[in-house]
Amino acid sequence: MEMRLNAASIWLLILSYGATIAQGERTRDKMYEPIGGASCFRRLNGTHQTGCSSTYSGSVGVLHLINVEADLEFLLSSPPSPPYAPMIPPHLFTRNNLMRLKEAGPKNISVVLLINRTNQMKQFSHELNCPNQYSGLNSTSETCDASNPAKNWNPWGTGLLHEDFPFPIYYIADLDQVTKLEKCFQDFNNHNYETHALRSLCAVEVKSFMSAAVNTEVCMRRTNFINNLGGSKYCDPLEGRNVYATLYPRKPAIENNLETVHTNEKFILVTCRLDTTTMFDGVGLGAMDSLMGFAVFTHVAYLLKQLLPPQSKDLHNVLFVTFNGESYDYIGSQRFVYDMEKLQFPTESTGTPPIAFDNIDFMLDIGTLDDISNIKLHALNGTTLAQQILERLNNYAKSPRYGFNLNIQSEMSAHLPPTSAQSFLRRDPNFNALILNARPTNKYYHSIYDDADNVDFTYANTSKDFTQLTEVNDFKSLNPDSLQMKVRNVSSIVAMALYQTITGKEYTGTKVANPLMADEFLYCFLQSADCPLFKAASYPGSQLTNLPPMRYISVLGGSQESSGYTYRLLGYLLSQLQPDIHRDNCTDLPLHYFAGFNNIGECRLTTQNYSHALSPAFLIDGYDWSSGMYSTWTESTWSQFSARIFLRPSNVHQVTTLSVGIVVLIISFCLVYIISSRSEVLFEDLPASNAALFG
Amino acid sequence: MDISKAPNPRKLELCRKYFFAGFAFLPFVWAINVCWFFTEAFHKPPFSEQSQIKRYVIYSAVGTLFWLIVLTAWIIIFQTNRTAWGATADYMSFIIPLGSA
Repeated sequence: MEMRLNAASIWLLILSYGATIAQGERTRDKMYEPIGGASCFRRLNGTHQTGCSSTYSGSVGVLHLINVEADLEFLLSSPPSPPYAPMIPPHLFTRNNLMRLKEAGPKNISVVLLINRTNQMKQFSHELNCPNQYSGLNSTSETCDASNPAKNWNPWGTGLLHEDFPFPIYYIADLDQVTKLEKCFQDFNNHNYETHALRSLCAVEVKSFMSAAVNTEVCMRRTNFINNLGGSKYCDPLEGRNVYATLYPRKPAIENNLETVHTNEKFILVTCRLDTTTMFDGVGLGAMDSLMGFAVFTHVAYLLKQLLPPQSKDLHNVLFVTFNGESYDYIGSQRFVYDMEKLQFPTESTGTPPIAFDNIDFMLDIGTLDDISNIKLHALNGTTLAQQILERLNNYAKSPRYGFNLNIQSEMSAHLPPTSAQSFLRRDPNFNALILNARPTNKYYHSIYDDADNVDFTYANTSKDFTQLTEVNDFKSLNPDSLQMKVRNVSSIVAMALYQTITGKEYTGTKVANPLMADEFLYCFLQSADCPLFKAASYPGSQLTNLPPMRYISVLGGSQESSGYTYRLLGYLLSQLQPDIHRDNCTDLPLHYFAGFNNIGECRLTTQNYSHALSPAFLIDGYDWSSGMYSTWTESTWSQFSARIFLRPSNVHQVTTLSVGIVVLIISFCLVYIISSRSEVLFEDLPASNAALFG
Repeated sequence: MDISKAPNPRKLELCRKYFFAGFAFLPFVWAINVCWFFTEAFHKPPFSEQSQIKRYVIYSAVGTLFWLIVLTAWIIIFQTNRTAWGATADYMSFIIPLGSA
């Protein structure tokens, strides 16, 4: 008995020991090494498909590092073991090279990897030379001339964002992963090229299969199709939310049982762009291409709120709108114009009377502000209003009292920058639209590299109160050339000019925008949403993520982070403190409870709201998709993005394995035939009863 | 069911049923009829119902062939022209391929 117990305990010991040292790893996991990155995906408009897709089961290519342009020749002139997956650094990710790879076809080039080796990068913009060319005022060369860098709005653009690639493009940002890929290439591929076809090579497999194809018309038809039994979705329209707020609270639509249908309010419309875009899913901050304008916009709103009395004496008001989806043929502003024309802005649910075009005095659109020393005021026609605003802007920009030392030039012609104002001018060329836009100097327009480094932003992190306006010579220990000071200067100039327009009096104060607010704003949108400004504008005790908000418009059910934060931010900055209202009574709009700068919580009377940013093309029954009237952009659906590397056996190896399998199959058939035909040799003595059964 | 064990009148009845059922746009029933009763109709020693069974089998075979030609032609025409027909072809389809025209 004791012996048996001993044996059992020894067995148990061995088993438990084995369980601890044996790593139960699957063969699959040993074969593959996952690679993290961001994938290019497919978008469609009324006539084309753009972007990339892998094959259904994933595209596989042999890694090949491209260090200089000549390395591409190896891949393009009869490579030994196709298909290949070139690893391209950003400075070689040019239109010329990519189009050559596209021409080589998916048989030779099956995957393209963009590796984050930026030391030789001088420029990287894949937007068109003329962004939104066909949805603006007109598509003539007067507005934008793609062939003339001096006359277009993105001279460094390659237009690759609007090309359709037959292979997936995968961006690998993490340098450890890049090193891993390079090492695999060096160890297995980068020697004895003549024997490539005969040996195992390091290869990458990328899965990014796209369901939609052809164009928006086809994929929307298929998605809405009644016979679509699987319920599969092919594509979704790009869709988001515009955020708007007014300087003064508006009167409700129904007062004393009387409904206001036509309001006699007068508005100055101040607008900017909320979104940005890049080629790769989930990467891209759009620091220079749209965040600068958005920052100035927010500061102008806050400064005006602080400078002007809390209630308007007459009916003059300012409507601040930040449009979403402008990167894709002005989705937000097209919808805004469409709604306003139908007297559906703001929507009935907001309880405020609709605003018509007659209610708008003029529009001031803040476009891209790449270089603030070269800002121009654009207008289609040289009106007296345009002259007046220009004079006012320059009055403050050049004033020795403030020392901004800027000069705002003007251009009154059809050479208009690609901003939201074009949607308004398209409806009516006589609409009073003014655009503040700087000469384009952004070499990373709409790209993954338009980040904090591109705008040279360093967070000062002072933890000081950013909500108070400051004296003009108080730089808050910031460098006078810093980005924060640039935002302060431009927004102060614009706010002062608007102040004069609204009140009719020159601004003579010495208070200007607080550069620390710019510091906090840019930190929130470029580095981390877990920041003092967003915290102040959220409900007390909110948990915020430490990633900057995604500013790509995305689709319904997408994150919509940026519009959410903007909603709270505009709500907080353009609201009136209500010290007498307790937290429990501060639940329904327009009352909104914020944490506030001190994080103690405060009730405020707000004016902000959302409006829908979905192109009117998706609302109109029987819309002609190729008409070019409205934005038609959709995004294909996909099931997964993944990439992994492994050793791909040589073709010889694969053919051998298959042939051996076929030979074994044939032999086994022969054997079975022979055995069954000679079965009496094996089963000689079958009893009679069994013979009947098996006979 | 083992047809060889059924009596001859039963065979005829079955063969006739299958033949008429085939008219309900069921060419596979005709095809089954042909396979099932082919030996009965042509290889078995003559019996009284055989001539009728033979007739039904031949008619079923003709019907199957007719359907085969029509379906093959349609499938070839449809598949080669599906993308060109655009919306019309989509409305005819139950399953639309992912990621291609």
